[in-house]
Amino acid sequence: MLAILIWLAIGLPVVGGLVVAFVGDSREKLQHVVAVGFSAAAAVAALAILPQAGADAAVSVSFGPMFGDLTFVPDGLGAFLAAVATVVGCLAVVFSVDYMAGEAELGRYYSLVLYFIGAMAALALTSNLFFLFLFWEITALCSYALISFYNDDPKAVAGGIKALIITQFGGVGLLALALAAYAQTGSFEISTFLAAAPSIPAVVLSVMAYGALLAAAAKSAQFPFHTWLPDAMEAPTPVSALIHAATMVNAGIYLLARLYPAFADVPGWRTAVVLVGVVSALIAALMAVVATDLKRLLAYSTVSQLGYMVYAVGAGGVFASQFHLLSHAVFKALLFLAAGSIIHSLGTRDMRKMGGVGRQMPFVRNVFIIGAIALIGLPPLNGFWSKELILEEGLLHGPGWAYALMLAGVALTALYTLRGVSMVFFSEDAGPHGHDAGRAMKTSLGILAVGTFVTWLLVGSFSRMMAETLPLHGLHELTIAQLASEISGAPATYLALGAALIGLAAWQWRRRIPGAQQSPGWLLAATESSFGLETANRLIVTAVQKAGAFLQRTQTGQLNWNVAGLAFGLIAVLIILAWSV
Amino acid sequence: MSVNSAVVMIFLPLIMAPVIYLFGRAVEKTRPEWITTAVNSAALLVMAVMWIPYVLTVRQFAVNGPIELVYGEVSLVVDGVSLLLAAVALALGTLVVFYSKAQMSGKLGDEKYYSSVIAMTGMIIGLGCANDLFNLWVWFEGMAVSSYLLVVFYRDRPSALEAGVKYLVQSAIGSVTVLIGIALVFAYTGEVGFEALAAANLATPVLLGVGALFTIGFGVKIALVPMHTWLPDAHAQAPSGISALLSGVVIEAGLIALLRVLGVLSGDVMPSWGVLLMVLAAVNMLLGNLMALRQKQVKRLLAYSSLSHVGYMLLGIGIAIYAGQPGGAQGGLFHLVSHGMMKGLAFLAAGALIYAASGASHDTSQDHGLTLSDLDGAARRYPFTALALSIAVLGLGGLPPLVGFMSKWQIFVAGFEAQSVAVAALVVFAALNSVLSLAYYAPMVNAVYRRQPSAAIAGGVDLPVSMQIPMAVLTLAVIAVGFWPRLVYWLIVPAGSALSAAFGG
Amino acid sequence: MMSELSAQSVQIVFAGIILLFGIGLIGLMITRNLIKIVILLQLMAKAAILGMALAGNVAGKPGLGQSLAVTVIVVDTVVAVIALALAVQVQKTWGTLDLKDLSTLRR
Repeated sequence: MLAILIWLAIGLPVVGGLVVAFVGDSREKLQHVVAVGFSAAAAVAALAILPQAGADAAVSVSFGPMFGDLTFVPDGLGAFLAAVATVVGCLAVVFSVDYMAGEAELGRYYSLVLYFIGAMAALALTSNLFFLFLFWEITALCSYALISFYNDDPKAVAGGIKALIITQFGGVGLLALALAAYAQTGSFEISTFLAAAPSIPAVVLSVMAYGALLAAAAKSAQFPFHTWLPDAMEAPTPVSALIHAATMVNAGIYLLARLYPAFADVPGWRTAVVLVGVVSALIAALMAVVATDLKRLLAYSTVSQLGYMVYAVGAGGVFASQFHLLSHAVFKALLFLAAGSIIHSLGTRDMRKMGGVGRQMPFVRNVFIIGAIALIGLPPLNGFWSKELILEEGLLHGPGWAYALMLAGVALTALYTLRGVSMVFFSEDAGPHGHDAGRAMKTSLGILAVGTFVTWLLVGSFSRMMAETLPLHGLHELTIAQLASEISGAPATYLALGAALIGLAAWQWRRRIPGAQQSPGWLLAATESSFGLETANRLIVTAVQKAGAFLQRTQTGQLNWNVAGLAFGLIAVLIILAWSV
Repeated sequence: MSVNSAVVMIFLPLIMAPVIYLFGRAVEKTRPEWITTAVNSAALLVMAVMWIPYVLTVRQFAVNGPIELVYGEVSLVVDGVSLLLAAVALALGTLVVFYSKAQMSGKLGDEKYYSSVIAMTGMIIGLGCANDLFNLWVWFEGMAVSSYLLVVFYRDRPSALEAGVKYLVQSAIGSVTVLIGIALVFAYTGEVGFEALAAANLATPVLLGVGALFTIGFGVKIALVPMHTWLPDAHAQAPSGISALLSGVVIEAGLIALLRVLGVLSGDVMPSWGVLLMVLAAVNMLLGNLMALRQKQVKRLLAYSSLSHVGYMLLGIGIAIYAGQPGGAQGGLFHLVSHGMMKGLAFLAAGALIYAASGASHDTSQDHGLTLSDLDGAARRYPFTALALSIAVLGLGGLPPLVGFMSKWQIFVAGFEAQSVAVAALVVFAALNSVLSLAYYAPMVNAVYRRQPSAAIAGGVDLPVSMQIPMAVLTLAVIAVGFWPRLVYWLIVPAGSALSAAFGG
Repeated sequence: MMSELSAQSVQIVFAGIILLFGIGLIGLMITRNLIKIVILLQLMAKAAILGMALAGNVAGKPGLGQSLAVTVIVVDTVVAVIALALAVQVQKTWGTLDLKDLSTLRR
């Protein structure tokens, strides 16, 4: 039964993708129905896996010695992320019914979204490092194809290729990790690797550990690979919500959390993870403070929030990171989809042209504000509980400097969130008139808004599930009562709330702060170049292109030179052979 | 004694090639469509019939192991490697003959075209079975001669002639180099047979010198850098079906020839061959990618990408030789098969778009170079061809769930199993090269899915079914084997063990 | 049937092979006329044929060496014919045999 559910959660979206393509773009209505139907069924299947979570492989198909077995293990981490992927995926598809209505090539859109959902569920559930890498790459492929869905727009194409290449570059880290695990243990099974980790030579293990961090940073858009995520905002907004906020970008956090027991003792690794998280959280928050594009604002905020999760893993708070992952998936999907309905209605992403849209779109305004409160981390919404849990773990087990910086990040988060809300909804009526969201849009927004209020109540069963199915992680159950008493009793909570209030106040009384009337020039410049990383990217691209241009000169097109190449080759081969003996 | 199926497999194409030629010549000069269709059908029939002895030989091999055929001094051996090469040659050959029907329809010279394709297929099959150095050279040269004719098939096209001249001259030098190498071996040992040579003891300097000569000689055909300069010209100028064959199987046949001879030049120098192949692999991967990165013409880009894919094959086999990892040989040969499928598909799809764009007139005297910007919007007019091209190039870029991902993976696994830092570093380098290659593959996919069609696409003619079926077969293969690599294990496992055995693994 | 060669003759023939091969290779690096190129290729092929014959002698199997040499001659003739036909075709379409002009395919 469990095996069937797993196959359904992964297979239904894939089959749905094929069916949508087969239905054809001439029957748009049917395409909507098929996409919603298959994604909803997959979500139901994935939710049904949760109560049966366990640490043993429910599915195992042998692929031979070089690939290992395709195993699916519905443990706490996997089943939970698969559920998030399919449920948010379903809501994004429902939202698309309105958002993508009348768009050309709907078949390609829905197919790719559905393949993505299937691949993401498989990525979460598999316990084989080879297949983890395989599904990791498939999600990257779908992400690329959907970012550049509007292929006629050069920015969309550039954004898609950039995302693909950066995540693939990081993927080499995961590749090396999987290959090294196989070379050391003779198996691709994660559980085998985790058990054998203490006996793996320290050098190899640290290469693997940093390989995992590289892969995670690229996938989760963390420093220094965060540059692709803002550019990925050219994708249709439901895709941004699903792939670039709620699911795929979490894969990096998931990877770190899953392999944490093996790498926790690698010298310097936890500090490196904390550092990546802190730097990402802070610089992304700073960039968000001056953003004027609504989707880029949310993208920066995603990088920043993912930074909190990375920080949590580095500080040893594996459960806290996953708990925040859940909250973030819900409230950020809500924010993105709400932003999507505004953009769909106004036809612009520029926040300076949106002022006053709140009056025309009251429903969207209300749910957006709910999401914003969760993002700031105010009680009683889910973002409050999970962020406080992270900060508490950070204070107890992480370095002090990191905690202080993360507190500053909380203030910045409050500042940019309030700034965004007031620019979009409450400044002078500047822009064109919009219409409120359609029925399908409201359905998914409403469900996510309710989720923002209630998902933190799942803490008990969620933590019990993880504690029971992940013995090597050393987790323990945390009931709602314990969570409430821990959070309300901890000084960390009041520090964080104070920081958030400072941030809110800074926006409220910005006119009284000297020099804060205008965005500081250095910050704008730093944002423009993504704190120098964008410049570095460009330098690398130019260098590669120049190398290509230089080599092109060797292809002279003249036979004499070609023959000379042969003679040169003979000498080179003789030298290599003489050297190799 | 009943006729051995292996004999039929090797010699049937060589008998049928002139038959097809004469059949086509029966009606002189005029080429009404029904004639070219008849010649095409006859050629297709020959290719189809050739599968019968092939399948019988595979069965015989499965039961009895390697099959040895002796004719006086000369002997041929059908082993795993022979069957693998024959499968790729036959499969691509059959599909290309099918595919070429529309291109050759009503055109002069079709009988030459088909008979050359059949002869080339036969030569490649024979090359895989050769069991002595000289015999190997004869098959190799036969393959080269038939491919010269095909590269300059558009003999009124100046650029095709230019490419043909470069190809012929460079290949001929390579061929002489091989001969000198054979003469040296023969002079030192008095033997040319593989078994005798494998047992012979040659001094290390001689082995290295002869190995270098063979590497250069066969390396021209394999397009090892810096002997590669003819390849982008010839592969881009040949008719598209021929480009598919040249990239998909001819360069690989050269690789098999090189491996056969290096395999018998054993002794203490064995690891040196591994090192040599791995160094050449690194150079080929990087240079091929950097050169492809800046190409504007689709077929030229694909030709350069073949350089880098040869690098992956060399890497896998180099690992197998250097570290004694049979998995590397399997991986390298798997990549040979998967590259044949993907690159064949890419060239066929590009050729279909060229055919569509050049219109019904199909004037072959000028080079209708399909540029990257000509790909714009292909998906709206030719959805299937665009999908096929996308799948081919994404597979070449190593993305799952396509076959290129699986074959590269297998090579990488073997590399890490070697437990050597240098080899592991080389594997990481190869993986980074795959990432780099996406920088030129991905824009092709983006281009075909644009909404605004290019002039070439907008004015294109419909594509005949005879072009689409071969593409459909290859597309399915690229996906199916990508999902389930075991589909080709019957080919690559025996071939891998034969190769490993030759290198003492 | 050729008789066994003295050590000195072997050296002379060997030097001749090296010379032919070397002249051919260097010539191909500097010559631009297509007909001359075909001639130089022939020169290199002759080196190979001589090599085969010599190798047979040195190895004590002159019969085998000669039969290999004859095979090379046959195959080589086919290549030469194709090369010359190509040269004729180049002259027809390009109006020149100068390879400097046949260098449009580059980069």
